[in-house]
Amino acid sequence: MIRDTWTVAHKEWMEILDQFMRFRRGGWSILLVVFFLGIFVPLQLGPGWANFAVMFFYWPFLTSSMTSTIVSDSVAGERERHTLETLLSTRLSDASILLGKVLAAVLYGYAFALSNLAIGMITVHVRYGDRAESMSAERFFALLALLGASAFFVAGLGVLVSLRAATVRQAQQLFGVILLVATMLPFGLTQVLPTEMRERLAAATSDLGIEGIAWWTSAACAALAVVLLTVAIRRFRRGDVDLG
Amino acid sequence: MTGPAIRVHDLVRDFRNVRALDHVTMDVPPGIVFGFLGPNGAGKTTLIRVLLGLAKPTSGYVEVLGRNPAREGDAVRASTGALLEHHGLYERLSARQNLEFFARIWRMPRHTRDTRIHELLSRFGLWERREEVVGTWSRGMKQRLAVARAVLHRPPLVFLDEPTAGLDPVASASLREELARLASDEGVTVFLTTHNLAEAERLCALVGVVRRGMLTGFGTPDALRMGRHSGAILVTASAGVTDALIEALGMVEGVALATRAGGDLRIEVRNGVTTPDLVRWLAAQGVDIEEVRPERATFEEAFLSLVDPASGTTQ
Repeated sequence: MIRDTWTVAHKEWMEILDQFMRFRRGGWSILLVVFFLGIFVPLQLGPGWANFAVMFFYWPFLTSSMTSTIVSDSVAGERERHTLETLLSTRLSDASILLGKVLAAVLYGYAFALSNLAIGMITVHVRYGDRAESMSAERFFALLALLGASAFFVAGLGVLVSLRAATVRQAQQLFGVILLVATMLPFGLTQVLPTEMRERLAAATSDLGIEGIAWWTSAACAALAVVLLTVAIRRFRRGDVDLG
Repeated sequence: MTGPAIRVHDLVRDFRNVRALDHVTMDVPPGIVFGFLGPNGAGKTTLIRVLLGLAKPTSGYVEVLGRNPAREGDAVRASTGALLEHHGLYERLSARQNLEFFARIWRMPRHTRDTRIHELLSRFGLWERREEVVGTWSRGMKQRLAVARAVLHRPPLVFLDEPTAGLDPVASASLREELARLASDEGVTVFLTTHNLAEAERLCALVGVVRRGMLTGFGTPDALRMGRHSGAILVTASAGVTDALIEALGMVEGVALATRAGGDLRIEVRNGVTTPDLVRWLAAQGVDIEEVRPERATFEEAFLSLVDPASGTTQ
């Protein structure tokens, strides 16, 4: 199954690369994003760019956004382009098809965020030399975990939406709304908590430190991703899938 | 294998209130080209989906290469190739990338994969354009590539849903030859749906005709024509058939058209006139009649009578 999953992911990557190389449908905008986030922002924030606390929201957000652009296309795109039925008529298992698509989207988001991080690091070091701050190993690994877990969580959510949507556009619209709600919900919930609880929560998170929060958030995202992917695999079954 | 390649027994498939397949029973022997014919919406694609395990039967039993696709779908799909209703090609990938992806799915070793891709693209006249993105191709080229993809891993059974749709006559003929060769030389069973009746008649050893989910005809194209006549009669005469007689015959009440057909006189009759009436009329005109027989229906007429009983062809 791992080999089949990789085969599907490889095909997805070929399509993504083709799109990128031909600067079709967002190829240019990706280059603009790389310039803005990898060069412009680090230069603006200065030598301590890598260690700004806000980066722990920024990088997962970037990973999730990039993952979401690919994953909403996963099943709905195949259905819309009439390739889903042919794919289902092969020996590939339902799970390997679905997981291959998820893997491709996760790797895309992950690779995009990491390459931006690397470009940012280089930019800051070139511009500020010895004054440029590096990221501690503890912080770096916490960030890696958070990026991976958030990408899997978004991919799990996205593939469920894509399974139900008739078209890619419908999937993207629905997924956009769900992501917005999912992002805003934790902030909204903390606002409705009693003051005493909020103070306790603030103290607890303060004790954890930014890396601790990142690890706990990663664990929560990973657990949710497992649940979402399990549901998606159960729903994506030949005979039950709408072939369009 | 000794048993049939495909066995369908009392198969029913319902979609909500619509019965797509209605108690279909048939056996398709291995190593032949089988044509499954019927008008749009008759249930052809649904049957292919059931045979591939992409749709479950509501009731009845199906066996493909000795396996039940509802329970052993993976094994069935591992031994079959398919070109379905849509060509299913990845239009953002090149022809070579498309075939490489499917070769990987079928776990073909790298050397075999490259050789086979070269062989198929050359055979279908696509080798020179292998690096082009498929989205820029004509429908006919895409269709040829899709057929190549279906046979890439040398499956013993191939499902082809209207493979010659969109092909020009030369490409169609070449594909027909290829399909016939697959069956005769490699023993591949080809399950074919087509609206091209001449193609079905020429290519298929056996055909099934479906109408509103029901199998209304099953047999060789010749057998389906047998026992059906077109509604015209053929008269062989040794003397007396002149142009003037044919013209006069055309004026007789109950005669729709009188023409020469080969060495015979062909008379299309309307309801109300009987063959003895015509024979008497011809004899009275001095025609020396040797033989009178009903004209055998063409395959198209036989097909129409099976899918549309009001089509005029009689048994």
